[in-house]
Amino acid sequence: MKNPAIIGKSIPRMDAPAKVTGRALYADDLKMPAMLHGKLLRSPLAHALIKRIDVSKAKALPGVKDVITGADIPQVKYGNWRLVPQSQDELALAVDKVRFVGDEVAAVCAIDADTAQHAIDLIEVEYEELPLILSVEEATAEGAGLVHDESKGNVSLVRKIDYGDLEGMFAKADYIREDTFKVHPVQHAYMEPCSCVAHSEEANRVTLWTSTQTPYIVQCLLASTLGLPENNVRVMKVQVGGGFGGKMELRPWEFCASFMAMRTGRPVKFTLTRADELAFGRRRHPMSIYSKVGFTKDGKLLAKDFQVMLDGGAYNAMGPTATFLCGTFGNMLYNYPAYRYFGRHVYTNKPPASAMRGFGAPQAAFVAETQMNMAAEDLGIDPIDIRIINAMQTGDVIPDVATISSCGFKECLEKVREISGWDEKRKNPKQGKGLGIGCFSFISGGVFNWFNTKYNFSAAEVSVYEDGTAQLATMACDIGQGPDTAMRQILAAELGIPIENIRLIAMDTATTPKADLGSWGSRVTLMNGNAVIDAAKKIKEMLIPVLFEEMDLNQIHDIAFEDGRVFVKANPKKGITFGECVYKALRGRRGEPLTARGFYTPRNKGLVSPAFSFGAQIAEVDVDTGTGLIKVEKMYTAHDCGMPINKMAVEGQLEGAIQMGLGYALMENLIMDDKGRTLNTTFLDYKMPTAEDMPPGESADVFTYEPEGPYGAKEAGEGLAIPTAPAITHAVHEATGYRCMETPITPEKVLRALDKIK
Amino acid sequence: MAMPQFQVHQPKTLESVLDLLGRHRSSVKLLCGGTDLLIKMRAGAQAPEHLVSLNRVAGLKTISYAGGDGLVIGGAARISQVGKNAEVRRLYPGLAHACSVMATVQIRNMGTVAGNLVNAAPSADTAAPLLAYGASVVAVERGGRRQIKLVDFFTGPGLTVLEPGEMVEAIRVPDVSPRSGSCYLRLSARSKVDIAAVSVAGFLNLDLEGRVIRCRLALGSVGPTPLRCPEAEQILEGQTPDEKLIAQAAAACVRASRPIDDLRATAAYRRAMVQVLAQRVLTQSLDMAKGGTP
Repeated sequence: MKNPAIIGKSIPRMDAPAKVTGRALYADDLKMPAMLHGKLLRSPLAHALIKRIDVSKAKALPGVKDVITGADIPQVKYGNWRLVPQSQDELALAVDKVRFVGDEVAAVCAIDADTAQHAIDLIEVEYEELPLILSVEEATAEGAGLVHDESKGNVSLVRKIDYGDLEGMFAKADYIREDTFKVHPVQHAYMEPCSCVAHSEEANRVTLWTSTQTPYIVQCLLASTLGLPENNVRVMKVQVGGGFGGKMELRPWEFCASFMAMRTGRPVKFTLTRADELAFGRRRHPMSIYSKVGFTKDGKLLAKDFQVMLDGGAYNAMGPTATFLCGTFGNMLYNYPAYRYFGRHVYTNKPPASAMRGFGAPQAAFVAETQMNMAAEDLGIDPIDIRIINAMQTGDVIPDVATISSCGFKECLEKVREISGWDEKRKNPKQGKGLGIGCFSFISGGVFNWFNTKYNFSAAEVSVYEDGTAQLATMACDIGQGPDTAMRQILAAELGIPIENIRLIAMDTATTPKADLGSWGSRVTLMNGNAVIDAAKKIKEMLIPVLFEEMDLNQIHDIAFEDGRVFVKANPKKGITFGECVYKALRGRRGEPLTARGFYTPRNKGLVSPAFSFGAQIAEVDVDTGTGLIKVEKMYTAHDCGMPINKMAVEGQLEGAIQMGLGYALMENLIMDDKGRTLNTTFLDYKMPTAEDMPPGESADVFTYEPEGPYGAKEAGEGLAIPTAPAITHAVHEATGYRCMETPITPEKVLRALDKIK
Repeated sequence: MAMPQFQVHQPKTLESVLDLLGRHRSSVKLLCGGTDLLIKMRAGAQAPEHLVSLNRVAGLKTISYAGGDGLVIGGAARISQVGKNAEVRRLYPGLAHACSVMATVQIRNMGTVAGNLVNAAPSADTAAPLLAYGASVVAVERGGRRQIKLVDFFTGPGLTVLEPGEMVEAIRVPDVSPRSGSCYLRLSARSKVDIAAVSVAGFLNLDLEGRVIRCRLALGSVGPTPLRCPEAEQILEGQTPDEKLIAQAAAACVRASRPIDDLRATAAYRRAMVQVLAQRVLTQSLDMAKGGTP
């Protein structure tokens, strides 16, 4: 199928000039007359009863306009999993009990930030300390205390998958291995710390400008916690400086800003610091994992038993979805005739883990890929060959999950073998150097409606004007990944007008069509892209009759929309400009504007996702065996994202993903003491790699055409964050013999494995 | 913590700086790059009522070198300025390296070498090479000047022998004789833009037969202050170094170190790395010294 020229082109992001010149407005840039500044009081203890809170000194401080505690707010718990109400376990401000260091206890707003902070320091709280639960093992031990008194145990959610004859398959296996793994917590470290401004002009109505990936979710949950109709809450666009899963829930400062804006009648702003984010913010789940896999002696996979405990921290957040997806990705990529997953999401007294780029899949893939390499080594099969033997392909069915409608995984494996010089380099191993492989698959948006939305998953509204321009309105969020450009490319392709002629209105819950579930799960390109196409088709249906009438066409003709013209496909000279066509349609409609809405909700696509991306990546490392330091010298990637909409945006996703995966494997780690306090709360000690650490990369395109995707596209955002860590850990093993079973790799771990530190 | 209120003074002469330091003795800090001070003030760790800026004082940024006399680094000379100085690069490569890899571009452009020393972090990157080059600090106050050997300067994390009212006017580094070699190596989790978890600096001067006339070795991030390693230096002095002797000297550096476990590395790793880095530093310094050019 041939796509229009604008599809698959490398188009610089349309928001880039504003962002690099500083013209783009983020939430913290918003300043309003009489605006108040909010600050939060957070718990210094990981688990304690609140015996008394005295806010009198804070209230008495000149300049302080409002002070609130848990006792002042409606006692309506919230959480993203509305489908399972008992999973909704959060209040914006703690009542009776704090559950992690950083749990929000009170909020203040004042005429300036210093005064607000001073007032926070004046609030007295008396706590009674409770025993701490800081690991999933402690939390699930017999007689363990409860993080949430009203729950039966500390396991907040269980997910089971079970198909095939597991015991029978293991009995047939020639080779079985059982391993345990531990993976550590890391943070999104988005460039923009969370920030929001709320204002209430009319009683019982509030507008919130916030740095979020999910305006619709924030709108709904804010309405329920404030006790307002959804329609009284408006969540609006600002630029978002990255999210990666960390900004997809209602958060306490969004509630407090809105609540206090309504109480004071003045705009209220909250902006978090980097230290707040690192110490108390959402993070990727640490997990304790047991995995047993069975193979034939020829390397054919027979069965897998996968048991995972996710350390969820004090609240569910997006943990339930991570628990589901960890199980789903425990058996992706390869065909497992029998598979059993037992995933438990466990409460502990730590800052809540939540969604983070890959959403349970990076951990599952780290384990699956590592065991694959161990099996390859023991069975004497090349690691790429053993993958090809088991690789999924188009048409494969994963029981109860999905049918794979497009899959270029085998091609990815072959391509990456070729561009990396895999065979050659493995034949001539060099001291301290190694190649390692990691593979991935990811969803293009989720099917499971955990938010229990009553609307379509994605929506778009297109209006066209007689000056040849169009307007696209959508609730989809550009959080830096590029849909503001990609969606306009799709509309430009459909209407055949220049992309510059399309104005975009995005992320406003009051004016953009209902609804969009947000930017997560790599859903926007496929889902919102389909909604844009749907709306464009409806617009074209309004325009096509104009041409038939004008040209007195036989009804068998087809009409094309290209190069700013509407014309007869068989005879391109017969046509008019797009603007003229709109003008004539407007006349024919006696002035009624040309506006159409399009929608998308996946149908007949199982419970997981309408489409899956695939890919393989090879890391080339050089280990200094004196110091244990690892230099990633080059990354090779082959990636099946269907037909990319914007090639440059996909390349950007790949580079960013390598940076994140490299940090995950080698540097980043949230380090906590035995009181549940995070110790590295600055970028000095939270070792996020910088541009200086980025290895050069080489990539090969593997194009498949995804029938469910817009112009054949599928996801290109999150999946790429999965393979880098397993590829690097494998490469380090090849270079040194050290097999990482507990992430991250540190120089010290390498040297201990080499017996250089006793 | 809310940032405290303070007053900023911007004198144009050293005399007025010293006057202000004397007058506000109990609650005054010098401000030049501010790269350490402002962060401490924001965190509430420092709350001076007066800040005296050196940025308008003439002549304090000068870096000068004279054969025989050595190098003089003005108290307000920026780290990047020192790192780019041609004489520093030619004669004091360990210092030049420290000044071009520590912290970040922005911090190097604002921060000063004197500030890096006065801040007295055990990990201060300029400290170890300056110790290895045998540097001294020129301290000045209203009453006069004194010269303090850098090896006697640090007394603990964040602590120096400077008295209230005193400031660093310059850093003096002795000239480098022919047949000298020197080197500074540091380890950090990130390849750049990071604080050193361990660092070693070395300086060697050879006689015509290839024997070590003078050796100085210094360590960073492995004790409460940057450290010299006298035992290791004595092992090498008067000897013709070979691989074995270098390993012995490195082992003596390990004995001089007093590392702790912290976020950045364990004590065990740091000890092992002092051995590895000291060997590498000595080997590279020796090569350079033998090459005839310092």
